[in-house]
Amino acid sequence: MINFEEELKKFYPSLEVEDAEDAIYNQDLTDMADLLVKMIKESEEKANEVS
Amino acid sequence: MFCYNCGCQLSEHDFCTACGADVSLYKKIMYVSNMFYNEGLERAGVRDLTGAVNSLRQSLKFNKNNIDARNLLGLVYFEMGEVVAALSEWVISKNLRPEKNIADDYIERLQSNASRLDSINQTIKKYNQALVYCHQDSKDLAVIQLKKVLSLNPRFIRAHQLLALLYMDSEQWERAERELKKCVDIDRNNTQTLRYLKEVELMLVPDENTKPPTKRKRDEAVRYQSDNEIIIQPLNVKEPKKSGVSTLVNIGIGLVIGLAAMYFLVMPAAQSNARKEAQDTIARISSESDAKTVQLQELETKMATMQTDYDALARELDGYVGDAGTLQNIDSLLQAASNYLENPEDVQATASELEAIAENVEMANMSEEFQKLYQTILAGIGKDLSDTYYTEGQDAYRTEDYAAAIEKFEKAAYYDAENADAWYYLGQAYLKSGDNENAVETFDQIIQRFPDTDRARRAQKEKDAILADQ
Repeated sequence: MINFEEELKKFYPSLEVEDAEDAIYNQDLTDMADLLVKMIKESEEKANEVS
Repeated sequence: MFCYNCGCQLSEHDFCTACGADVSLYKKIMYVSNMFYNEGLERAGVRDLTGAVNSLRQSLKFNKNNIDARNLLGLVYFEMGEVVAALSEWVISKNLRPEKNIADDYIERLQSNASRLDSINQTIKKYNQALVYCHQDSKDLAVIQLKKVLSLNPRFIRAHQLLALLYMDSEQWERAERELKKCVDIDRNNTQTLRYLKEVELMLVPDENTKPPTKRKRDEAVRYQSDNEIIIQPLNVKEPKKSGVSTLVNIGIGLVIGLAAMYFLVMPAAQSNARKEAQDTIARISSESDAKTVQLQELETKMATMQTDYDALARELDGYVGDAGTLQNIDSLLQAASNYLENPEDVQATASELEAIAENVEMANMSEEFQKLYQTILAGIGKDLSDTYYTEGQDAYRTEDYAAAIEKFEKAAYYDAENADAWYYLGQAYLKSGDNENAVETFDQIIQRFPDTDRARRAQKEKDAILADQ
């Protein structure tokens, strides 16, 4: 049996057009490719320090 | 595909042919991103919008620069009624690739229609208000608000779901089912929709325990075979007596039952339908009224702007064609020029016209050509006119009418600023009339304009005498 109060908690206010700018600025755009490039650069730096 | 290190085009090798960087893993990430994009595209094609959103978001987690995936994600959001989320994805897409990007078209289409954008924003605000009503336990208001939202944006899935939840809460299962089926038509695989639908369908299936089968008991009838025929003789059944009165009574009872059934079953349903139609009409009129109000406000603003423009233009036109307008002054100047050319000796008539022009206009505001013609005519008649006024001034001075003398000498000095005698007697006239301040000022003018002359020396003496007396 569905509980109305519990289900209501799953609904959240929709973003208004005025809030679009904040939503765009706050979006985390880091992707796997960024992480890979960062890891490669860090490993290269460590290798340079050892040598 | 481009190298993450140097930006060169990558080949089929696992290393960059330009800088030598190992790109095997990088390529795999790009392939995975493309795979998720393809999956999202397939899901969007069969209207599994929730699944498409998940796949496309995965694709963007692997490669944020996958422009096709981002644009498609925006489209899917738009189809689900999530306009702001769609707009956000398209704006990011346009920033990542400013040229040759279809997102540019999508944004332009949205932004070019201001009333549509405003209507979308109103929809979102109403949805948020409905959610507030739900939390405040004002469920009836929430239902009305959500109906308005869905009349403006019928594809808003979350609004459909919330409305269905409200119907479920008030045990209006058929209405809830109708809303949920609309959700399924838009997005076929939304888990929340399917969960609600399952609950509603469970409630709509008739309970078998409440309707026991009405089987006739075996012992209600006696069966026996006679030759090839089976005879069934019911027990406890009496043949009805054929009586006219009982028939009429039965018909009467039937009519009463029929009327009662009509009153208790059919009438409420009809009233309910009428109420529903009235509510729908109110909701529709209300939404139309909102749209008209927005339109009216736009038109009022436009009208105010046009009225301001009209007033400014009317003032400008009046400045050209009014009694003291530019055109009238130009006519007067041309008339003065005509007089001057036809009767060069009649300096008084030309002078009076020039004086009338000087009174009406601010010379600095007039065109350069206007000022030039005015000065030319003034220079032509100035000398003669100055002499005339000087003579009249002398006459007045001699008869000790110093006010008239001041007026004439002022005009003589105005029309010929080099007329030193006019200046001198103007100073004297002031002095004689007791206006020492203007007298000193006029003597100062003489000292400055005609230095090292007899007039200047006499003016200096007069000035010194006035100052000594004070």
